[in-house]
Amino acid sequence: MAVILENQEVGAQCHLVTLRGVTAGHAGQFVMVRIPGTLDPLLGRPITLFDVEGDVTRLLMRSVGRVTAMIKEMQALRELEVEGPYGNGFPLLDSDITLIGGGIGIAPLYLLAKEHRALYPHRRIRIYLGFKEAVILEKPYAAVADEVRVKIGGAITDDIDYSVDDIFYACGPTNMMRVIAQCAKERERKAFVSLENRMACGAGACLGCTQKTASGNKRACKDGPVFPAEEVFYE
Amino acid sequence: MSSALTTTLLGVTMNNPVIAASGTFGFGHEYAERFDISRLGGISGKGLTLHGSSGNDGMRVWETPAGLMNSIGLENPGVRRFIKEECPYMRAAGCAVLANLGGHSEADYIAGAELLNEADIDILELNISCPNVKAGGMAFGVLPKSTEAIVKKVKAVTKHPLLVKLSPNAENIVAVAQAAEGAGADGVSLVNSFLGLAIDVAGKKAVFENVYAGLSGPAIMPIALRMVHQVAHAVRIPVVGLGGIATVNDALSFFMAGASAIQVGTITFAQPDAMLTIIDGLERYCLEQGLLNIAEIIGIV
Ligand SMILES: Cc1cc2nc3c(=O)[nH]c(=O)nc-3n(C[C@H](O)[C@H](O)[C@H](O)COP(=O)(O)OP(=O)(O)OC[C@H]3O[C@@H](n4cnc5c(N)ncnc54)[C@H](O)[C@@H]3O)c2cc1C
Ligand SMILES: Cc1cc2nc3c(=O)[nH]c(=O)nc-3n(C[C@H](O)[C@H](O)[C@H](O)COP(=O)(O)O)c2cc1C
Ligand code: FES
Repeated sequence: MAVILENQEVGAQCHLVTLRGVTAGHAGQFVMVRIPGTLDPLLGRPITLFDVEGDVTRLLMRSVGRVTAMIKEMQALRELEVEGPYGNGFPLLDSDITLIGGGIGIAPLYLLAKEHRALYPHRRIRIYLGFKEAVILEKPYAAVADEVRVKIGGAITDDIDYSVDDIFYACGPTNMMRVIAQCAKERERKAFVSLENRMACGAGACLGCTQKTASGNKRACKDGPVFPAEEVFYE
Repeated sequence: MSSALTTTLLGVTMNNPVIAASGTFGFGHEYAERFDISRLGGISGKGLTLHGSSGNDGMRVWETPAGLMNSIGLENPGVRRFIKEECPYMRAAGCAVLANLGGHSEADYIAGAELLNEADIDILELNISCPNVKAGGMAFGVLPKSTEAIVKKVKAVTKHPLLVKLSPNAENIVAVAQAAEGAGADGVSLVNSFLGLAIDVAGKKAVFENVYAGLSGPAIMPIALRMVHQVAHAVRIPVVGLGGIATVNDALSFFMAGASAIQVGTITFAQPDAMLTIIDGLERYCLEQGLLNIAEIIGIV
């Protein structure tokens, strides 16, 4: 059982939920979050690790439905069932990196930038964040990167300077990730995408989240959620 | 391990009568990373087909009130790869090993069962109840006649104890259970998932590409329990009960309704260690009630 230490509204229907009692994990991994003491809603919801600091974990949650709306209303000291972390997480590579997030897809990029900076302090980190209505969390992202660009509406992928020789990491709408995959391929760059397929178990057991890839069926939760872009966008 | 839970099912002695249900536990690897799976009574592996399958396209899982709809479509590595790659691992886990076999045709079932004769498994669970593939076996398990035919043929070739998994979508599940018994089944397990429908109202179309999909989880528990009760009263072979079990009370209900063992499925997705909680709870119950063995409450209702 994890306990909520703080539940802070950050705009755009998003909350930063600070928790104690979550097993530490890495950027790109996720946890399954459940409302305790009920069988309805039944399943845990996959939520990316936004930040891990000692024994404290932060999740960025956008309320879109039952569970996320319930958690939005929860005060400090309320408990949540949290399983995980699950999934493979992002590979950290000794290179300059460009991170592209769309909507709630920005969630895994904060910890990714933090971990990359800690491991390769001399590398450049550029972050591009695309939003529908309002910009959120620009400052915290700026604190862990060399450069942050934000955009409201339109395609954030139009704003990227593709001439910089680095590695792309993308999370967001499928179309956005497809564009990144295509641009990376044309320029012979590495790119990783993080998928948000619908999940039931999150642990690799139900085969509900199967993703077709260049090398056959993969489980988004267990073999992913992070995949080389060309594995997913191969057609 | 307390002897109060020691159970012999179809000649196989198990630590306890709690088995992970097919399709909800992979082949054991994933949850072995989360808890000590040797504490389980048994594991029924993901449903196999002779040549394997990549499963269904489109949406595969969808939550409903206290339930889960799935349309996985028997994605599986096939019998041969199961025997080579998964079976040794399951055996090493230290609990009973059930291979769950589905099929697209009578010939596939028979060939699959014959191949599984070389596998080091304890029980062959014949899945004539998968609702999610066109000829996914459910066609065989809906009517007594087709059930009798397929069970007879598989029984004739298999050297393993034969547990026949029944569909709640059968026209008359009691008649199907009796047909399975008559054809030589050593036991029956029930239920598989209930055929349901989910509609994406905004999109004005069915959620699942196959239109219908299987409903499981706590939402189905009372209906599954009723069916187990009816079948247990109508056959002499052991009945393995499942369908929506989430708590120790649910588990006890199934024993009281006549189940000799239980399987636990969907709740594991929500609470990976639910089976351990149930096992501990059963043990405590036996102690509190002064039972020498949990079998003392089988069928008391
Ligand atoms: C690996 C992974 C990481 C994720 N990380 C985050 C995160 O960090 N922050 C965050 O806010 N959300 C994240 N999501 C999405 C999040 O899991 C869903 O928004 C959540 O399950 C909705 O639950 P609910 O009960 O509030 O909504 P429900 O009542 O279950 O559904 C409401 C709406 O949400 C949609 N929905 C349900 N499940 C998903 C899903 N898996 N993906 C997309 N839409 C869905 C439904 O179609 C429906 O329209 C992630 C998803 C995955 C697979
Ligand atoms: C995702 C999923 C996959 C399943 N796959 C199989 C399968 O391959 N073979 C089978 O016999 N039953 C399969 N089932 C049915 C379960 O084994 C079980 O009969 C059913 O879910 C009811 O039990 P529960 O409510 O405890 O889950 C599957 C169920 C789910 C939810
Ligand atoms: S969500 Fe169950 S296998 Fe991925």
